[in-house]
Amino acid sequence: MTLFEGQKNFFYEINGVFTEEAVARRLRALGLNDGTTVKILNRKRNGALIVGVRGTRLALGKHISSGIEVKEEKKDA
Amino acid sequence: MPDKDKHIHVAFVGNPNCGKTTLFNAITGSKLKVANWSGVTVEKIEGEAKYEGFQLTLMDTPGIYSLTCYSIEEKVTRKCVMDEDVEVIVNVVDASSLERNLYLTLQLLELGKPVVLALNMMDVVEERGMEIDLHRLPEMLWDVPVVPVSAAKRTGLDILLHAVVHHYEEEPKQNTLFYGEGIEEKIAKLEVMMQAHYPLHSSVRWHAIKLLEEDEEVKNEHPISVTNVVDKNYEKEIIQTKYSYIEGIVNEVLFYRDKKKANTDKMDALLTHPIWGIPFFLMIIGFVFFLTFTVGDLLKGVFEIGLDWLSGSTDSLLVSIGTTAWLRSLIVDGIIAGVGGILTFIPNIFILFLALAILEDSGYMARVAYVMDGIMGKVGLSGKAFLPMILGFGCTVPAIMATRTLETEYDRRKTMVVTPFMSCSARLPIYVLFSGMFFSDYAGLAAFSMYGIGMIIAILVAKVINTIQKGKANDSLLIELPEYKRPNARTIRIYVWNKLKEYIHRAGTIIFIASIVMWFILNFGMQGMVENPGDSFGAAIGKFLVPVLVPAGLGMWQIVVALIAGISAKEVVVSSFAVLFGVTSANSETGMHSLVANIQSIDPQFGPLNAYSLMLFCLLYVPCIAAVATMKKESGSWKFTLKTVIFQLTFAWLVSVIVFQTGSLFF
Repeated sequence: MTLFEGQKNFFYEINGVFTEEAVARRLRALGLNDGTTVKILNRKRNGALIVGVRGTRLALGKHISSGIEVKEEKKDA
Repeated sequence: MPDKDKHIHVAFVGNPNCGKTTLFNAITGSKLKVANWSGVTVEKIEGEAKYEGFQLTLMDTPGIYSLTCYSIEEKVTRKCVMDEDVEVIVNVVDASSLERNLYLTLQLLELGKPVVLALNMMDVVEERGMEIDLHRLPEMLWDVPVVPVSAAKRTGLDILLHAVVHHYEEEPKQNTLFYGEGIEEKIAKLEVMMQAHYPLHSSVRWHAIKLLEEDEEVKNEHPISVTNVVDKNYEKEIIQTKYSYIEGIVNEVLFYRDKKKANTDKMDALLTHPIWGIPFFLMIIGFVFFLTFTVGDLLKGVFEIGLDWLSGSTDSLLVSIGTTAWLRSLIVDGIIAGVGGILTFIPNIFILFLALAILEDSGYMARVAYVMDGIMGKVGLSGKAFLPMILGFGCTVPAIMATRTLETEYDRRKTMVVTPFMSCSARLPIYVLFSGMFFSDYAGLAAFSMYGIGMIIAILVAKVINTIQKGKANDSLLIELPEYKRPNARTIRIYVWNKLKEYIHRAGTIIFIASIVMWFILNFGMQGMVENPGDSFGAAIGKFLVPVLVPAGLGMWQIVVALIAGISAKEVVVSSFAVLFGVTSANSETGMHSLVANIQSIDPQFGPLNAYSLMLFCLLYVPCIAAVATMKKESGSWKFTLKTVIFQLTFAWLVSVIVFQTGSLFF
């Protein structure tokens, strides 16, 4: 699944970033690498979402979140 | 011992929102602007400080996440730190998000220059119940000096400068991150090759790593054939290794990470709510303008009384010392009416900038990008483009510069075209004056509507451009949302004071000169000094262009002259009206009455509809000469700038004409 399909308050582990190379490089620099865990903090139904990653928050547009392959980890208690 | 006379060049480098500029301001006492989103410092800024007999030249750089060049800010910062002149790097680190900040730190350490780590925002760490092991942290970073500081509370500053002075002539650190046998072997080979080609290069290891990451800039700056060593792009592995190492550091030095749920998340649940986010934003902006107009207008009354007094007493003083009539007219009707009239708006401007500063410094602004992303996306811009647009409420010039944070040139230009429609503070005096004169009880609403209309027009124009150029919807938002924080009084004070100073400075320079020029062209004609302004040079120019503005309900030569003069700075429209219609205190109750009477003595039909058409024209036409110059500088294209100016003039005319003509059918 992609991060875009994720739900609020769930944790996901990144499996791969498949966007334009420039965006992918930027995401990697921001710490979104294979194996990194992110948590969806907030999201719009069909738009951007906010993820918590490495102690900070990033807002990601639909195009970007659809390019991030993830696997579900667990829901926040 | 280092030479005590020596000058040390220090670069402040860090992630966006890490408090770098606040720290820089705290040390240099520099009067700079600090905001809470990336792109505020778009150029490198220098300041001076003295410490223990050392002269320090400090450089504040744009906030960056990595030393790889993606955006303009990154290029500026990278160029600055790579510069041979920079002897010490102060890496400002937000202690409350250590993990992400240390990524840049690891890259800076690889440069081989002396680095001092300024651990900022320790107060946030404490507030959240976290603890950082300050002994273990430097140990894991190859003994780089780590100094806890608070930029906001101005603590730890001397210790930081002491560390800078103490470490600046140190031998470059040799120990940096180990990338594993395979990659290290390649780095070693590349280092040898680099040294052979560029023996004077000071950051060979860093350079070798960048070659493995296939960094374009690095390859172009120091061309070298490495195909036999660099068989593929190793960036992914290198970044992974860095982050794995950082995870190790964080696990070892950071305690009680999840003790308290950050307040930020609680506030975000509300402010970035999928449904309520936009209404909240509109309410906040609405409240800002409500305060600007209501409280601002109350205070403005006091300034007007002062201006009346000044104008009256200056006039009697000049009479008593026997000054000639023309000089008295120049001083009282030209300078005091023009410049003084603008200065009475200080309370409104003060409140507007105070509110913008609080919104910026609290961390809310970045949320606006997220909240507005859906709407902006539909018109082909990322939500991030809305940030320069909001800055436009203050002043168009920095707003246009702030478009640098946008990723593509296409996005930048499109944002540059629409940003001037966001009504800047210089246009506020026009609305206050004309809505006050013609809309009595609804004055606030009429003035406020300009902001709404400006915002809607900006978005619609972006949509039209996007459709014409067959652009796609934009959904590539990527922005960090910083922690919310209590706005820092000092930061706000510096910001607001600077804005007010700029405003007063403009009143004393551009508006002062424009008022004199205006007085001159209205009092002199072909026959020398004229009794009737209708025979003046100004009237001649105005009358020539009057037919163009007749369909907009603005067919008066005085208005034409005021609008042309307004291109120098928008406030000049107001000061020109004061001079043109011979009213000293245009904004006071009596001043407004005589201004209305004077206008209607020329055109008895001139009413609210004409006034509204005028306000719209002022909202939409060329913001000012400074904004045009900035647009040229930022776009690097005269063609683009000229096209935009022509578009603004035509568009302003078109909207005013449509509104006036349609309105005339009903009123």
